[in-house]
Amino acid sequence: MSAGGGTLLEVDGVVKRFGGVRAVDGAGFALSPGTVTALIGPNGAGKTTLFDTLTGFQRADRGSARLAGEEVLHLPAYAIARRGMVRTFQITRALAAMPVIDNMMLAAADQPGERLHDLLLRPGTVRRREREVRERAGELLDTFDLARLADDYAGTLSGGQRKLLELARALMARPRLLLLDEPMAGINPTLGRRLLEHMQRLRRGEGMTFLFVEHDMEVVMNHSDRVIVMAEGRVIADGEPALVREEPAVIDAYLGSTA
Amino acid sequence: MPPLGFTLQAFTNLGFWSGVLVVAGIYAVVALGLQLNVGYTGILNFGQAAFMAVGGYSMAILVLEGGLSFWLALPAAVLITMAFGVLVGLPSLRLRADYFAIVTLAMAEVVRLAAQNARDLTGGTKGLYCEFEGVNQTCFDDSWKSVSGWILDRFESFWSDPEPLLPLLIVIWATVALGLVVLRRLQGTPWGRVLRAIREDEDAARALGKNTVLHKLQSLAISAVLGAFAGFFLALFLATIHPDDYQPIVTFFAFGVLVLGGLASYSGVVVGAILLWTLLEGTRFVELPISEEKTAALRFAIVGAVLIGLMAFRPQGLFGKREEMVLGRGGPR
Repeated sequence: MSAGGGTLLEVDGVVKRFGGVRAVDGAGFALSPGTVTALIGPNGAGKTTLFDTLTGFQRADRGSARLAGEEVLHLPAYAIARRGMVRTFQITRALAAMPVIDNMMLAAADQPGERLHDLLLRPGTVRRREREVRERAGELLDTFDLARLADDYAGTLSGGQRKLLELARALMARPRLLLLDEPMAGINPTLGRRLLEHMQRLRRGEGMTFLFVEHDMEVVMNHSDRVIVMAEGRVIADGEPALVREEPAVIDAYLGSTA
Repeated sequence: MPPLGFTLQAFTNLGFWSGVLVVAGIYAVVALGLQLNVGYTGILNFGQAAFMAVGGYSMAILVLEGGLSFWLALPAAVLITMAFGVLVGLPSLRLRADYFAIVTLAMAEVVRLAAQNARDLTGGTKGLYCEFEGVNQTCFDDSWKSVSGWILDRFESFWSDPEPLLPLLIVIWATVALGLVVLRRLQGTPWGRVLRAIREDEDAARALGKNTVLHKLQSLAISAVLGAFAGFFLALFLATIHPDDYQPIVTFFAFGVLVLGGLASYSGVVVGAILLWTLLEGTRFVELPISEEKTAALRFAIVGAVLIGLMAFRPQGLFGKREEMVLGRGGPR
């Protein structure tokens, strides 16, 4: 991390209630650019709800989240994604009845052709941008070994291929920060390893920042710079993997005993 | 009368076909909008009849009450209908697809019942046609009738007795053709891609930075404009505007056209409209040894049976893509 890098995402005191249940109860942490952070915690700890509130899919009741200094917690989901914080879902959301290549091209940012007036007034720009987008989509599909499936309907892909497609598609949106909800769940170990390699490569090569939810401790300990542990809606530990592992609160949370 | 007769005479009759094609054309325009909403955006719009009513009534009221020329009233009514579509969509497009369907269906009934009761403006159950001031009579379709007469005069040079519906038929099908071309082109653009993504999974589209509410509003507004045009044509065809012509059944027939033609196919909608109305009107000539009312009811039963048969053997409709139907929403994931 460079000295001027500062903080990319600063989350403070986020609360999200569902009726009487405080799914997220004052969670806070900060992410530095170019880091890979794992978010762990027992089932029901509020990890996915936290993702939902940070990315605009749920309205937070309280708290703040500043992305590169700008408050984003009140923004709609699409606006947050456009500012560079892009998420994937625990259950893959392939656009099943659309070809893989269209899944990819859809995600491109800055396509004026998505606006009706620009279709009429700037058809040349739209076509040019569409060529660039197609090229970039092809490159990414190549990287993720999905190129030969480009014209297949996304719904015909296997579970693992869908996970890869979802990551590749999120990258089309040129994120600064990727929030991955259980990217390794339900895919075979080979594909899982490839996914992790992609993550490390993007971090090193493009300085991308990652926050990912994961249950496999081996993955968490070996592939992240930092680990954030959540339990009952709060952050109970935050630090380097080796240190977090020794934390008594973490052991308690995982073993379910009362401290 | 023979016990079971069927006269083919009608099918060689120009009057029969122009009647069928005018109605089919009107329904093709309506169903093109529905296809955009239902087939390509995944929003279940059950209120298309209301857009027809708002279009038709605004046009007639602007001419009769506002004293506007017919040619200015048309674009004005299009704008009014579009604004109405946005107004309906703004609060309701945030709802889940099935709730949106209920809201639009209710909205269509509100419009129809309002038209029935706002007598001063809409003529209530008498409907709208002409205004009388002393001996002077103004009708909303005066300007159209003179244009229509002018077109028929051109035909008379080589055709002794031209079909009176021909000018309307030409205008309607030119609109269908234009709508078909424009919508198909739009579907291939990045804009159309966002719509399809919303149909597949709105949350995924939002997560990728797409303003899905805006796109759904645009889809609904375009559909409302097509509804307004269908409303104009229906008013010109019937030469009157009456609340009963905008019953929910109108929207359901348009859905029948959609099912017949196939989801996510614009040309399917056009073929579907012609088929449905040939079937509905053609079965008029089946003669059975039963009362007239029963025959009338039987016609709908036949159409129903055809639709059920289609669902069973070709659920994607005549032109729909089977893969998109199986893989898409409602299918296995």
